Amino acid sequence: MDTALAYKERFVRGEMKATEIVEKQLSFIKEHDPKIGAFLSLLEERALKKAQLLDAKRRENKPLGKLAGIPIAIKDNMHIRGEITTCGSRFLTNYQAPFDATVVRLMEEEDALLIGKTNLDEFAMGSSTENSAFHPTKNPWNLMCSPGGSSGGSAAAVAARFCPLALGSDTGGSIRQPAAFCGLVGFKPTYGRVSRFGLVAFGSSLDQIGPLAANVKDAALLLEVMGQHCDKDSTSLPLPPANYLAELQGSLQGKKIGVPWSFLSSLRDPVASNFKEALGLLKELGLSLIDVDIPILKNSIAVYYILSTAEASTNLARFDGIRYGLRSQKAQTLSEIYDLSRDEGFGDEVKNRILLGTFVLSSGYKEAFYKKGQQARTLFIEEFRSAFTLCDLIALPTAPSAAFELGTFHTPLEMYLQDIFTTPANLAGLPAVSLLSGFSSDKKPLGLQLLGPQLHDAEVLRVASAFEEALGLCSASPSLEAKP
Amino acid sequence: MTDIAYEGWEPVIGLEIHVQLSTASKLFSPAPNRFGDEPNLNISAVCTGQPGALPVLNKEAVRKAVLFGLAVGARIAPLSKFDRKSYFYPDSPRNFQITQYDQPLLLGGVVAADVGEGTKHFCIHRAHLEDDAGMLKHFPAFGGVDYNRAGIPLLEIVSEPCMHSPKEAAAYAMAVRAILQYIGASDCNMEEGSLRIDVNVSVRPKGKEGLNDKIEIKNMSSFANMELALEAEIRRQIRAYALRPHDKDPIDKGTYRFDPGKKETVRMRTKEEAADYRYFPEPDLPPLHLSGAFIEEVRRSLPELPHQRYERYVNRLGLTPYNASLLINDKPLSDYFEEGLKHCAHPTHLCNWITVEFVGRLKETGKRLPEMGIPARHIAKLVSLIESGAITGKIAKNVADEMLLAPGLDPEEIVRDNSAYQPLSDSKEIGAVVDAVLIENPDSIAALQSGKTRAFDFLVGQVMKRTQGKASPSVVNRLLKERLKRD
Repeated sequence: MDTALAYKERFVRGEMKATEIVEKQLSFIKEHDPKIGAFLSLLEERALKKAQLLDAKRRENKPLGKLAGIPIAIKDNMHIRGEITTCGSRFLTNYQAPFDATVVRLMEEEDALLIGKTNLDEFAMGSSTENSAFHPTKNPWNLMCSPGGSSGGSAAAVAARFCPLALGSDTGGSIRQPAAFCGLVGFKPTYGRVSRFGLVAFGSSLDQIGPLAANVKDAALLLEVMGQHCDKDSTSLPLPPANYLAELQGSLQGKKIGVPWSFLSSLRDPVASNFKEALGLLKELGLSLIDVDIPILKNSIAVYYILSTAEASTNLARFDGIRYGLRSQKAQTLSEIYDLSRDEGFGDEVKNRILLGTFVLSSGYKEAFYKKGQQARTLFIEEFRSAFTLCDLIALPTAPSAAFELGTFHTPLEMYLQDIFTTPANLAGLPAVSLLSGFSSDKKPLGLQLLGPQLHDAEVLRVASAFEEALGLCSASPSLEAKP
Repeated sequence: MTDIAYEGWEPVIGLEIHVQLSTASKLFSPAPNRFGDEPNLNISAVCTGQPGALPVLNKEAVRKAVLFGLAVGARIAPLSKFDRKSYFYPDSPRNFQITQYDQPLLLGGVVAADVGEGTKHFCIHRAHLEDDAGMLKHFPAFGGVDYNRAGIPLLEIVSEPCMHSPKEAAAYAMAVRAILQYIGASDCNMEEGSLRIDVNVSVRPKGKEGLNDKIEIKNMSSFANMELALEAEIRRQIRAYALRPHDKDPIDKGTYRFDPGKKETVRMRTKEEAADYRYFPEPDLPPLHLSGAFIEEVRRSLPELPHQRYERYVNRLGLTPYNASLLINDKPLSDYFEEGLKHCAHPTHLCNWITVEFVGRLKETGKRLPEMGIPARHIAKLVSLIESGAITGKIAKNVADEMLLAPGLDPEEIVRDNSAYQPLSDSKEIGAVVDAVLIENPDSIAALQSGKTRAFDFLVGQVMKRTQGKASPSVVNRLLKERLKRD
């Protein structure tokens, strides 16, 4: 599979003009995306305009940005000024973003070619991209299957070679699980490393933007561009930018990987055997494995679904039909504007979560649910902290299974259980990567997850990079010619 | 006094004062904080609740809130936090307000206020920062929302239930307003809504500990209205307890508003309709840590506070407590007085000329003296002219009239340019008038000799009348005494 750095090299060396890159990718997308459904909109005009500027820049020997000539897709819950941000929701079908997300600004400053906005579960709520109000996205490895979610469109776009890099957002695994299902690298940075300004919030204290890429190097490149302090996001960490690409090099000798075995007793194949093989490979790389006990992990789903929905219930309160977005044509009174607009604008899963979040914050229930959830969250942070005194990184599978078929889950709770291994990193604000660790017997990608202490993003990527190189599978990509 | 007025009942009053802080930008966005512009001109993605927008705390608002805390001796919390308060209403752009629920910025504090029969001290319970809502506008065919006000920083100052009469409530509120104005935290303009008051009031039998049920009256439009509303509400509650002593809810708990026309309070909603605000910590804002160094730095910028100025006026300048309160509760006027003081050695006279003569002359017009364009030093000069005997008080009043007609005109010039204002201090000239008056009033001289001292004042008055008030009173006095002694 072509890497982002390969695209850049071709452009910088003059082997391909930026306009040619854009035209080629767009025609490839137009040919193949109808059967996959990765995109909600293409930024044709915008990408071509930027490409022309880049070609002129190159002709005039002006300095080129770190992402020059690289086509990048963006999950459609991040703002590009003047473009529509739907969040996969009927409510925002016509919502034109009034400003650029910080990540969009940073990527454009580094000469990225933003080619389109990708599908997602409505407001990033889901693990299959089936909750999109527009259409489900299919997994390029197996068109019967889900690409995962909620950043399923971004993952499918990279897996299908529509673009070598895409942005996702991860509240409880929404970058990492689709990366695992699509055979990619998906990285959720330390909470606060990447600005959330311009990302439509789901669970503000959990949301983090990150890259989906064909390999670790590309992910590191994009993180290097996006990982900047931003004064428009008060939770942005006041850190200098880091040189993640250069930090991929370095010794792994003496590093310890912790495995919380007691949390993994119910693992089933093919994930169970693949995870063990992956650990074996880490050992071959000179890393030692130790058993770590993190008892709070078993509560991750409950705690995550209390806290994320509480925040979401208020974050989504602004969608009321008064100032923007959908307003029900049937509404006659103020309360009908609220009730009918929200009823028509939101899908079932979003309604579920607003109700759940409203409930856990309600007087009489807040103590038992929200407050307890907050206390448990503190325990996640503390237990991880003490685990990291014993080891450098923690390994987990990314998901309990390989990509499941579309329509597999019929109740929200079954779907929620998909997030069992990914939510802990969000609750504790940790950097975590998912990367390809092999395939199931029916040729579905499987993912290994590595978690590090807060701010140890570079270390997580360094180990991931060594693993990826040792495994030697990252050039694998699905054939798009196969009939569904 | 209240005892008689309320027939053995004691009102218990607490105030929630919402004050808009005068910052350049809003509490969580760079949109301008400005009153009176076209609707929806001063807005940003944050204050219209756009998705993807994030709040960033305005340091200047924190600084002004801390300044208030230091002025009233509150505890400045080294760690406070913000919370989301959820309710749906079109004036609330995110349908939650960002406020401080259980860890406010300021705790405690004391406000001294002159309640007429001396100074009383009132306790503040807490004060916190929050963002203001927009304003609904009603048109014949539709409703609109103006978000210019949405996001303006508010300091909500919650008193203890420590006031026991409408007068005390007004005195406390005025003292709080004065402090906010002195420290430059707010212009406190009730008409423009930069200072808004909700009152909580209950009544209890005099001498009883503990509190009875209270009701809340929202949004008082002026201090005078607040006093009227409280008066009406206190009487309503006392009546209710008398009429329905065994009722579960004799006072009809809830939220009220004041109808100034009918002079009565009207219930807007009952207690049962109270919303569940579902408070929880605002995840987009980290907790607010304030260092001791920051607080000390703010403390160093504290100006003279109203009660300090009051003490100085009464103890050092010799003003009456009434005049001192009058001045300190009107910061622009007090500042004007301060400016005049720099040019005047007679504070009490200056105070009288400012508060009685000049302000009195403007009363009917609704205009305010500091805005008239008369330099304070001109009033100081006028007082000096009187004190030096250059003009009489009577002429000074005419000069004052002219100063108001032509602001900026120097009183010395006014006197110089008008021969009628030239004082008569020539002993010969005045002596002739005195002689004439004595000849014409033998009865008065007789009365004086029989001990009726009032006759002397009559004679002085006659001389002044004949000289059209231009004669120097001291010269008249001296000459009269000399002549009478001779007789």
